[in-house]
Amino acid sequence: MQRFFRKTAVLSLIAAILGTQSIVSFSTTPRLTEEQRIVHVLNRLGFGPRPGDVERIRSIGLEKYINQQLAPEKIADTMAENKTQELSALKLSTAELYEKYPQPAQLIRRLQDRGMLPKDLAEAQEGQKNPRENPGYRKLIQNYYKENGLEQPQRIIAELQASRILRAVYSERQLQEVMVDFWTNHFNIFFGKGAERWLLPAYDRDTIRPHAMGKFSDLLQATAQSPAMLFYLDNFQSVSTNADRGRAQEMMMNPPQQRPRRGINENYARELMELHTLGVDGGYTQKDVTEVARCFTGWTIFRPRGGAAAVNALRGEEARTRRTPARPAGTFFFNMRAHDDGEKVVLGHKIPASGGFNDGLKVLDILARHPSTAKFIATKLVRHFVSDNPPTALVNRVAAAFTKSDGNIRETLKAIFFSNEFYSAESYRAKVKRPFELVTSAIRVLGADTNGGPGTHRWIERMGEPLYGFQTPNGYSDAAESWVNTGGLLERMNFGVALAGNRVQGTKVDLAQVVKQNSDKNRMVDESLRMILAGEVSAATRESLIKKMDPADPIAKVVGLILGTPEFQRQ
Amino acid sequence: MNRRVFLKSGSIAMASLGMSLSAPSFLERVVMGREANAAGGRRKVLIAIFQRGAVDGLNMVVPFGESNYYNARPSIAIPKPASGNAESAIDFDGFFGLHPAMRSFKPLWDSKQLAIIHASGSPDNSRSHFDAQDYMESATPGVKSTADGWLNRYLQAKKDPQGSSFRAVSMTRTMPRVLMGRSPSIAMANLNEFSIRAGKASANVQSGFEEIYAKQNKDVLAKTGRETFDAVNYLKQADPAKYKPENGAEYPNGPFGNSLRQIAQLIKANVGLEIAFTDMGQWDTHVNQGNSRGQLANLLSQFSVGIAALYQDLGQRMDDVVILTMSEFGRTVKENGNRGTDHGHANAMFVMGNSVSGGKVYGRWPGLKDDQLFEGRDLALTTDFRDIFAEIAMRHLGAGDLKSVFPGYPISATRFKGFLI
Repeated sequence: MQRFFRKTAVLSLIAAILGTQSIVSFSTTPRLTEEQRIVHVLNRLGFGPRPGDVERIRSIGLEKYINQQLAPEKIADTMAENKTQELSALKLSTAELYEKYPQPAQLIRRLQDRGMLPKDLAEAQEGQKNPRENPGYRKLIQNYYKENGLEQPQRIIAELQASRILRAVYSERQLQEVMVDFWTNHFNIFFGKGAERWLLPAYDRDTIRPHAMGKFSDLLQATAQSPAMLFYLDNFQSVSTNADRGRAQEMMMNPPQQRPRRGINENYARELMELHTLGVDGGYTQKDVTEVARCFTGWTIFRPRGGAAAVNALRGEEARTRRTPARPAGTFFFNMRAHDDGEKVVLGHKIPASGGFNDGLKVLDILARHPSTAKFIATKLVRHFVSDNPPTALVNRVAAAFTKSDGNIRETLKAIFFSNEFYSAESYRAKVKRPFELVTSAIRVLGADTNGGPGTHRWIERMGEPLYGFQTPNGYSDAAESWVNTGGLLERMNFGVALAGNRVQGTKVDLAQVVKQNSDKNRMVDESLRMILAGEVSAATRESLIKKMDPADPIAKVVGLILGTPEFQRQ
Repeated sequence: MNRRVFLKSGSIAMASLGMSLSAPSFLERVVMGREANAAGGRRKVLIAIFQRGAVDGLNMVVPFGESNYYNARPSIAIPKPASGNAESAIDFDGFFGLHPAMRSFKPLWDSKQLAIIHASGSPDNSRSHFDAQDYMESATPGVKSTADGWLNRYLQAKKDPQGSSFRAVSMTRTMPRVLMGRSPSIAMANLNEFSIRAGKASANVQSGFEEIYAKQNKDVLAKTGRETFDAVNYLKQADPAKYKPENGAEYPNGPFGNSLRQIAQLIKANVGLEIAFTDMGQWDTHVNQGNSRGQLANLLSQFSVGIAALYQDLGQRMDDVVILTMSEFGRTVKENGNRGTDHGHANAMFVMGNSVSGGKVYGRWPGLKDDQLFEGRDLALTTDFRDIFAEIAMRHLGAGDLKSVFPGYPISATRFKGFLI
């Protein structure tokens, strides 16, 4: 495989050298050339070209390639599977994660019980001092993890972030990864909230991925029932004021200070309509929010913080002989005793009393098929794939495709990928790459080898958009005006320089495989531009690069500068 | 002013930032401007701080004189002031008190440098964080199409002849809505990181990027790139690690304390800073909010200790500085089923500075009885946040015409609360 890429890279390099004289700037051509259309599809339906990709798609045929990408389940993906093989946390169930990656706070309590840590630490923790900051205690805790075959919980998120980077870089199912990124951002969850780090691997694996290219209504229902979303937007604690209080509490199995009391929580109901489906102007009222919240009372999580599973890790052998619970910790269940079973009216639809679990399903059904949802999802998709200012005519056609196909995501995407607007000159290289897109596309274009680890993710974080790191449920904005800023831009340039100079930890780049050192600096600049940007830069940028190059300068300098140009920030 | 005068004052400016002498052109303009302005008054500074997630204003500035406050919050209310009880509210005026975790604000209240405007905020009834933050930052409640933030429109309306690159700085990783717009602003998470880092080749690589970005035009990236290098060129010789806060000020550890410390550093460096912004998150306390102790108490402690340290550090400079805090909306009067509070309506804002008429809770108090609540559940609003912003823009920053800053909202000084002398 590796050799194949090198070979095609060399071939394309030869093509590039032969072609340098005849580079046509896109700004002078009203319509995109075939090569530009291929580059465009590689940028928007994926994370940018690797060496040899343009030629590969030219031989497959662009339309066929797009249709292949729309059916990811038929694409073999050995490389990505191999690369993510060692990320063992991602294969575990939530209950297993609680057991193998216990919370340090619970560990501290356990160590206190055994007399290995002083009792008054709990007090210290209530205040602002964290016992984990005490080096003596830290050592003790670390040893306990090691001796008991346990792992620190922050590893879970590091592995999840790595898997996203690795798949974006290596997966042949590029569009699938773009859609996973899109939906993960649409149904955003912040890893720093409570139990999220244990719940997110299942969210990515069992909620988002299986439905990313399926039906919107299935995806919506999967998120509504996902413990990660129930936790993030507090619905797991939403209990009807009419509920049987004693039994409802009993089912929760929480320590007393976290035990929910009666009362509904509107958080999920509001964001479900504002951010997941209708959009903020989608035509709902405060009354609808309250009614929807009532419908979802009882949609909760069994042992949301791990319960016995988390304690098992600390008890070792003795715990394994205990009988297993009715259902695994950290999974969805409907708690009838917490449910408000009265009549509700949602967006004018009457939901009769005694509907139980079906109340929530009915709400999801109403929302998934509401015209505001079609419009809202279409607008977001067009903004993501076509332009920061989505053309109204295209949005309307995409919304119609969404409605006609009953929310079939593939059919909806087709309406975008086979539209004239998608291939317009205004849309070509117009969108600014988000940090995740910039980092993965730079690694791809250089044919670099990465482990996707924290050394790579740290750069995405510095540019301002850590994966799973956005606190509020609206997710990162897809319109550049709202986030391009000086600090972030500086880090983009720094990343380019670091990557080309082989200073990104866990990522190795062999520039000699991409561009040959050349004593003619014009040729060196042109070859590099051809490789990285298909030669499409402004005359001013090209002149500046040549002017700033010294024949003795390493190729890493010109590559680093090109990765930091305004042109490479776009896709 | 001749070159020698500039060099002298310039070196003072840069010494306070801990850097050697090599001033970019904008700094030269700033220093000259400062000298020239000496007779006509010094540059005023606004430090705006956003509490994102909607702080519970009723537990921050406690209306302990309202019996309904205690009825509505059986497990999370702050006890009435009681001498010897460190968990009780700190008495202001026999009716309002401060959350006990905010005791570091008490001296500022006593010396009348801290004013509070209660029952204030956005007249829009949105309970969406994003909408409400958007409205507070655009200062056009109910209108989503406004492209720029009100602080940026202030910068546009009142031209800065000195053209400092550091006129508006946000100590945040991304540019906040309130500073978005035509007038250049800088966003950075940390002064230390603000440079091109390529080892020995740094200067060389930087000049390459500078050249590339200087030649671009009419492009959001190019404009941002040019602003970036203006600032980098000034800061690259700074050594923020060497910065020593004055007057015994101790900033809390963590990103909020760091942001405030670096704002103080920029103010003291006389780089032409006029608008500083930063924010602090995690205020969305739907669950287990706590009372005198717990989740909210820890946040309020970090918040108030940080701001009090900034005040102390800036010392006499607070003559020219106003600190303003805000949060998108308040929280429900009643606690919810999870010992937390849900999204509400009006809230409380702090204004601090040596020029503030403090020691007073401004704004009409609407009451907490059931029939006094907004939509039957939330603290009603009696002061539009735009009247507070406008008073600061006009009386502190010296803006003349506010029509373009607050479109669709005619500003009248008769609605000002009078917290600025």
